[in-house]
Amino acid sequence: MTSPLLELNELRFAWPQQPVLLDIAHFRLQAGERLFLKGPSGSGKTTLLGLLGGVHLPQQGEVTLLGQSLASLSARQRDRFRAEHTGYIFQMFNLLPYLSVQDNVLLPCRFSARRKDRALQRHGNLEAAAAHLLNGLGLSDPALLRRPATALSIGQQQRVAAARALIGNPELVIADEPTSALDADSREAFLQLLFAECSEAGSSLLFVSHDTALAPLFDRSLALPELNRATHLEAL
Amino acid sequence: MYLLRLALQSLNNRRVTALLTVLVIALSVTLLLSVERVRSEARASFASTISGTDLIVGARSGSVQLLLYSVFRIGNATNNIRWDSYNNISTLPQVKWAIPISLGDSHRGFRVIGTDQSYFTHFRFGRDKPLSFAQGKPFADLYDAVIGADIARELGYQVGTELVLAHGAGAVSFVEHADKPFRVSGILAKTGTPVDRAIHVSLQGIEALHVDWQQGMPARGAGYVSAEQARELDLTPTAITAMLLGLNRRIDTFAVQRQVNQFSGEPLLAIMPGVALQELWSLLSVAEKALLLVSACVVLTGLVGMLSAILGSLNERRREMAILRSVGAKPWHIFSLLVLEAMALAAAGILLGLGLLYIGLGLARPILEQEYGLFMPFAWPSPAELKLLATILLASLLLACIPAWRAYRLALVDGLSIKT
Repeated sequence: MTSPLLELNELRFAWPQQPVLLDIAHFRLQAGERLFLKGPSGSGKTTLLGLLGGVHLPQQGEVTLLGQSLASLSARQRDRFRAEHTGYIFQMFNLLPYLSVQDNVLLPCRFSARRKDRALQRHGNLEAAAAHLLNGLGLSDPALLRRPATALSIGQQQRVAAARALIGNPELVIADEPTSALDADSREAFLQLLFAECSEAGSSLLFVSHDTALAPLFDRSLALPELNRATHLEAL
Repeated sequence: MYLLRLALQSLNNRRVTALLTVLVIALSVTLLLSVERVRSEARASFASTISGTDLIVGARSGSVQLLLYSVFRIGNATNNIRWDSYNNISTLPQVKWAIPISLGDSHRGFRVIGTDQSYFTHFRFGRDKPLSFAQGKPFADLYDAVIGADIARELGYQVGTELVLAHGAGAVSFVEHADKPFRVSGILAKTGTPVDRAIHVSLQGIEALHVDWQQGMPARGAGYVSAEQARELDLTPTAITAMLLGLNRRIDTFAVQRQVNQFSGEPLLAIMPGVALQELWSLLSVAEKALLLVSACVVLTGLVGMLSAILGSLNERRREMAILRSVGAKPWHIFSLLVLEAMALAAAGILLGLGLLYIGLGLARPILEQEYGLFMPFAWPSPAELKLLATILLASLLLACIPAWRAYRLALVDGLSIKT
């Protein structure tokens, strides 16, 4: 069996002067896997994503991405490592309002040489890479590329955010409630597009949401409160 | 490079605030540069107004006052020099040449100077440059006048134009010498000094205008003397306002100065132009420095305004920072982004400020020239001004580190979580 893409072992994290927020014995995500992580608000979901991105470091245990322990990297190296291997989609207002759709999609290529090179390798130039992804996500109108991000509907903005997360084929895409602002029909449509593009890019997907209705669409589904021993203690 | 583009686009997204900030900085920069420019140009233009004159002699008053009215045509003399005193001093053995100056009349706001031919041969300005004629020749007839370049340009006068002098130095006079019109005999080439704004006539001409006056009012009835009748009279002046002296040897300056100051006929004062100019500077330098300091404070206020605008925007921009972090921007990228933003604002402010300075200069030049005899050329920024601008840029760089550092800290704390 191949080594997991992402692995957490005996991870404990607490904010300064606060009780332990996260205590996860074990968690792993396989390459190419699509995992649904159920996380109600207040469950430490955002903190967990920060730990996975290497923005914060756990007090105990470790986060391993692509076989690399994040704790063994310096802050700068973690920033770089994150940019190269992880794409993010957030809940809402994912885009920089002052950039065009195309510039928003290309942002990761500005900060990560590896993602830029990969995008260039596959598509020859960055514009083509962005257009290809947007096309796959149902935004095929070329006029759209030049429009400011704010001129789009919420659903369109989330698809642009997905294109941004996927450009340059990062190994991992982390989506934090990306569908919460969409209606039920658009949610599924968005997920289908996202799945297709993740497969094409060869990226694993870690999808965090409180909306369990979406869980059956994924390869596997986990609930953060069950994973997290700290909340059990608190509940008692 | 990409960060700069991001910074500019982000600013463009908040363009109303950004424009106001730039405008505040621009106005403060304009103020600072104007003060600096008026200061340095005033010095340069004052210093180049007179050259080659060893002593200026006038009725006893302050040396600065004498310098101002005799050379710069600012203010008025409190008293005159008697003609015989002039003769006594101008014939001293050490004196090479003497230029008599008689002030008190004007023409449409331009001052009239009664003098003699020595003015055209001995007066020097700038770096020992003599006066030259653009058209015509020195006055020869009693009612001839030689006008400065600005007068010819502004009033459209040419050789042969007739002009009526007015009593007093104001722009509007109620008593005109309409009965004795003068005729332009020559126009001087541009000098960039108050000479350009003066009308030169002979001392006898001045005398002819006032020959029939009694108690400072024109004569009426029997006492009236017509222009032609005046030619027959003895027009030797009784008094002049000041005199410029050139000496044979510079070393005699102090001796002659002492002689004049101890002149027994009447209380007189002799000054060395350079020394009086220094006195004037030291008098003005306190005010100059205060002005410069105040305008520097205004610039600082502008920069602090920028600082507060950026700091105030930080909270609403935490989402923007988090997005940038999520796509791979490092905390120092966030830091640089904010510094670049501030520098862009300051640089735009400086450029706009320079633009406003030149626009203001274009508008104020005629007034400055007319009212204060100050000649402001459209020159590129001087090294001193560039130094000021560089200082502003440096100050904005230092100030920008405050919001940049705060954003850096926020970026570290917030990480990828989107607040607000």
